[in-house]
Amino acid sequence: MAEVPGTVVDRPRDPGLRGHRSAPPTRITPRRAVRRRGRGTALLFLAPAALFYGLFVLLPWLHSAWISLYEWDGIGVATWVGFANYVTVFTEPALVGAFVHAIGFIGFYTVIPVFLGTVLAAILAASRRRGAGLLRTVLFLPQVLPLVAVGVIWRYLYSQDGLVNHLLAAVGLESLTRPWLGDFDTAYGAVGLVGTWVATGLCTILMLAGIQKIDPALYEAARLDGANRRQEFRHITVPGLRREVVVATTVTMVAALASFDVVYATTGGGPGTSTMVPGMMIYQLVFTANRVGVACALATVLSAFTVLLVALINRLGRER
Amino acid sequence: MRRRHALVPSLAVLCTTALAACAPGGTAPGSEPVEPTAVSTILGTEEVTLSLMSTPESGEATKKAIAAFEGLNPNVTIEYEQTNYEDYNKSLNLALSSSTAPDIVLLNSVGTTVKNGLVRNLDGYAQAYGWDEEVPTNQLAQWQVDTDGTTLGLGPLYAAPAGFSIVGVYYNKALAAQIGLDAPPASLEELTAAMGDAQAAGILPLQLGNAEGHAAFPVQLVAQAVDGPAEYSAWVYGQSGATFDTPGNAEGLDLLADWATDGFIPDDANGTDLQGSVAKFVAGEGLFLVDGNWDAAKIDDGLGEDAGFFAFPGTTTTGIGTSVAYGISSASEHPDVAAAFLDFMQSPAAGQYQWEQGFLPVDGTELAPEEGTVRADLLSAWEAVNDADGLVGFNANASPTMNDTFKASTQEIIGGRLDTRGAIERVQADWTQTHG
Repeated sequence: MAEVPGTVVDRPRDPGLRGHRSAPPTRITPRRAVRRRGRGTALLFLAPAALFYGLFVLLPWLHSAWISLYEWDGIGVATWVGFANYVTVFTEPALVGAFVHAIGFIGFYTVIPVFLGTVLAAILAASRRRGAGLLRTVLFLPQVLPLVAVGVIWRYLYSQDGLVNHLLAAVGLESLTRPWLGDFDTAYGAVGLVGTWVATGLCTILMLAGIQKIDPALYEAARLDGANRRQEFRHITVPGLRREVVVATTVTMVAALASFDVVYATTGGGPGTSTMVPGMMIYQLVFTANRVGVACALATVLSAFTVLLVALINRLGRER
Repeated sequence: MRRRHALVPSLAVLCTTALAACAPGGTAPGSEPVEPTAVSTILGTEEVTLSLMSTPESGEATKKAIAAFEGLNPNVTIEYEQTNYEDYNKSLNLALSSSTAPDIVLLNSVGTTVKNGLVRNLDGYAQAYGWDEEVPTNQLAQWQVDTDGTTLGLGPLYAAPAGFSIVGVYYNKALAAQIGLDAPPASLEELTAAMGDAQAAGILPLQLGNAEGHAAFPVQLVAQAVDGPAEYSAWVYGQSGATFDTPGNAEGLDLLADWATDGFIPDDANGTDLQGSVAKFVAGEGLFLVDGNWDAAKIDDGLGEDAGFFAFPGTTTTGIGTSVAYGISSASEHPDVAAAFLDFMQSPAAGQYQWEQGFLPVDGTELAPEEGTVRADLLSAWEAVNDADGLVGFNANASPTMNDTFKASTQEIIGGRLDTRGAIERVQADWTQTHG
């Protein structure tokens, strides 16, 4: 989450210009030389970050892609298999199923939270009542909790004698009570909703920050023209939040595709394989099945897919 | 601009060569099983510090054994470390191949640990200390690994048992009295009949938590009752020609499906883990619970004199079990000292600690549990199973992925998503992938 595409970054000033300014007035420095010095300084400043990024992000990623070309049990000698592991990723039903589940999670982690977050933020921004600050904190709280803790909490809430079933029974919906995480029909949705619960807070806070940047004069003008609250939301708030929507979508979509913690702590991929996601699958492939090559192939495909999707979102979200 | 263009390909080439040089694997202490060097049963006076890795389930007794051993051998210090069961199995190989490998490790299964030569061949010590005479053959078999690294019951020994586990049936005597069951069922038919009686009396017949796949226990016990322990062992140990497609397994899976349909097991079985089911059983939910000796203390505390245990009945009395067995790291600098500790763990004194923890000891001659307690039941069940030579390893250990396969398959059977035939084919396909 360190680098969020779509955020505004100050453009570096033209290095040539700066070179001119610092050049001694008596001698005219050749333009090329100035350029090079400027670039050298820039590279020097970039070096620490680039080094760490290279060592701890790019290199492990390349290494993992490299391992994906081998059959390896994680300890012994590896055998070169070319792209056979990739064939497995796209043909073994369990692996394909995990992918489908992750894509489905985008609905729970991204679509619902972004929608809910925008609406909630608009309501919060419009009401200046006391308690709005408290509400903001409460909404953001799930984002602060470690996801494993979130998973453990929800496992209790969803259990046969958990709070969810108690609440249903209290309002006379006893027929609906069930072990939510143990039931083939409900486990996937139940786990997905945990993601919604976590992501909605983040989206709301992002949108709230965005709304505060919208020029109040626009609302005033709209009101003078006789627009109601809904029309304001539709024609001023939503278009004004374009950039925030892109950020929220990117962040939550990455979370959906890379989901692991919540699934691990709630269902472990079960019942059957109904909540199996690539993250969980990779973990099992490495640590129980000892199929490290296939796990790396799956990880490579997953990360490539995520990058593509994020790039697509950012392109769609670019202001015209 | 031109310079940058030149940089990119050269960087790529550099990366590729660097990566090619470090192709994965082959960095383990020994890629071939380590042959035993000269062994000695004599402990020197040199100060030695060993490290030992275990899990909480098996660890308490080990901690006491360590203290006693250190008392007898003041020059030896053993540092104890523990991780929970699931994570332990996942991190064991990494720990053993690290530069700070522990000397003594609990082995829960043979896995890839033996295949990659991470633990020592213990044949020399077994002979020197006479383990092969003290420990029953069928208990050592699951730590004997053939040269292919996956077939068990043949070849050198890689771990020494310190205590044994056995899975059988716990029952609630108070609930049993309500349906007029005053002695443990003596056959599979009597057992299923008792379950029917319980259902009719409004008592949950079988407490079960299958979130982690523990329905594999009753399935295996029913199968063994029908097929006999020898046939099941051959399959669990991966011996060639064995198959899961047997009448016993079919009956076990059919019964599981029936229990789910008829409400003989809890509705939320798939959402409850083993410990959750133990807690419910202790709270009085369920006539029977299929579980291992490791929960004996908890059930004894919870149900007191209402708690009972019996070995699974059948044509032969059988149990599922393994041993709490420790291996010695190939990287250990003091294998002789480590082996002396393994031998100490088979002594009557250490056996007492195992027993206190709920495990069955190697040497149980000094045990005298109180009559009528679940502990006394446990010991007589253990003796009955041993007399019948009926102890079989866990079916979930038959391949590295078998636990997940059983988990998913039994969950789907309980959920009505898979039939017996489908489950048998899936399980056997998994087995074939490893033992082909």
